[in-house]
Amino acid sequence: MAGGKIVSIHSFRGGTGKSNTTANVASQIALKGKRVGIVDTDIQSPGIHVLFGLDETKMGRTLNDFLHGKCPISEVAFNVGEKAADSEGRAKLAGKELWLFPSSIRGREISQILREGYDVNRLNEGFQTILKELKLDYLFIDTHPGLNEETLLSIAISDILIIVLRPDNQDFQGTAVTVDIARSLDVPHLILMVNKAVPKYDFADIQKQVEDKFHAPVAGVLPLSFDIADNASRDIFSLRSPDHDWSKALRGVADAVAAVK
Amino acid sequence: MTASIPNQLRKAFLFRGLSSDALTALAQKVSVRTLSEGDVLMRRGETGDSLFMIDEGWFKIVAEGPSGDELIINKTGPGETLGEMALVDEAPRSATVIAISNARVLELKKDAFQEILDQRPDVALALIRGFSSRLRFSTTYIQKAIDWSQKIAAGDYGFIENTQQFSGNTESDDDKATELLSAFFQMVRSVKAREDELKQQLEKLTLEIDEARRKQEFEEITGTDFYANLKEQAKKLRAQRMSSENEG
Repeated sequence: MAGGKIVSIHSFRGGTGKSNTTANVASQIALKGKRVGIVDTDIQSPGIHVLFGLDETKMGRTLNDFLHGKCPISEVAFNVGEKAADSEGRAKLAGKELWLFPSSIRGREISQILREGYDVNRLNEGFQTILKELKLDYLFIDTHPGLNEETLLSIAISDILIIVLRPDNQDFQGTAVTVDIARSLDVPHLILMVNKAVPKYDFADIQKQVEDKFHAPVAGVLPLSFDIADNASRDIFSLRSPDHDWSKALRGVADAVAAVK
Repeated sequence: MTASIPNQLRKAFLFRGLSSDALTALAQKVSVRTLSEGDVLMRRGETGDSLFMIDEGWFKIVAEGPSGDELIINKTGPGETLGEMALVDEAPRSATVIAISNARVLELKKDAFQEILDQRPDVALALIRGFSSRLRFSTTYIQKAIDWSQKIAAGDYGFIENTQQFSGNTESDDDKATELLSAFFQMVRSVKAREDELKQQLEKLTLEIDEARRKQEFEEITGTDFYANLKEQAKKLRAQRMSSENEG
């Protein structure tokens, strides 16, 4: 059995829907019967735990504890299929093999790690351990926006990098730099995903412009949607509303990830 | 020529309910008028006292446009009747009718009409039926047009697919109501087509990259020791994972 793949999800700026994308793509792949892990390395502003129904009362050990040497990474794992199949969408994950490695949401712990920093090599060791111990097919890394050290590390060790961008010039500019970095770091597979596209625009044209500019495949152009805003991160939207246009396009992105050999 | 007049009358929607006997009686009251192209059959505003049935030739029905110019409302030809209301009411002609070809019409004067009504109550009844069925026919379609207009206003064009075409196979093959509805449908199709086309004309975004800034930012990030070290480490790590994959 070949080792699992590391898939980093990145966006240059915040607010692109990166965490939502990570949670949905990872869930779709878990739904296919794959063994999937998600690490929230957005230590400064964690968010993905909410999509999996995790709050302070349910959260045990966190990535922060691991990075501070307080526990092995295996203790951080939160089994979504066993413990979080408690909403309409997440119910579909019952019995699936999906683990979340959350970052701490306690203000004191966040400020501590920002103040003291941590060894990015330890983070890397954590990834490798998870891949092996849980025999993962995919390890998704939800990164912090921008290009700080732990994000560069995540990109550097990725087999697949998904860059989420909105169709605007600021995201376009930032994505250009990220694409260059990914190529410089020899990331084998680069996938672009355009999110929050206003429906009045020609999606096919957006896809073509982005692909032409970056010479990388766009796995989906996903519409800006009030329905997703209304979901307010309570659930995995593509599982809750599988027939929604956003969900259909999202599955296209999951398929593009699954198609990488 | 007179012998064929009852048959010519029969062609008119208004006289369709009349028996052969009644048509013959009516035929004796009508006179034939021939017109040349450009001749005026009736003039708007005049008091009318005749009904005309077109036997041959074509006419245009015109009104005056806002600036006094001629506005063609419609064209009409064989089998159509003109000015039938004048036989019943006293209102002036509502439009001017001009021959656009050489034409022949059958004219029924109001006095002659009155006479036949006195002599033949069966003809009177048949004519009243003709008038009222024409009216009913029109109001039915006006009602439909109102219903459809409301649907169009709500953006619902589905009825176009579910409503049969108007091809004259209705209760009577009159005529203006059918024509109106058919024009109405044509209009709705055009509106829908234009709307669909507009939906297709999606706006295009222009996305641009400042290449100088791109290069500068790339150099800032890659110019650090951390980055050089990371690149080296990443290379090793990949090689390691690759070999462990091959072993496993």
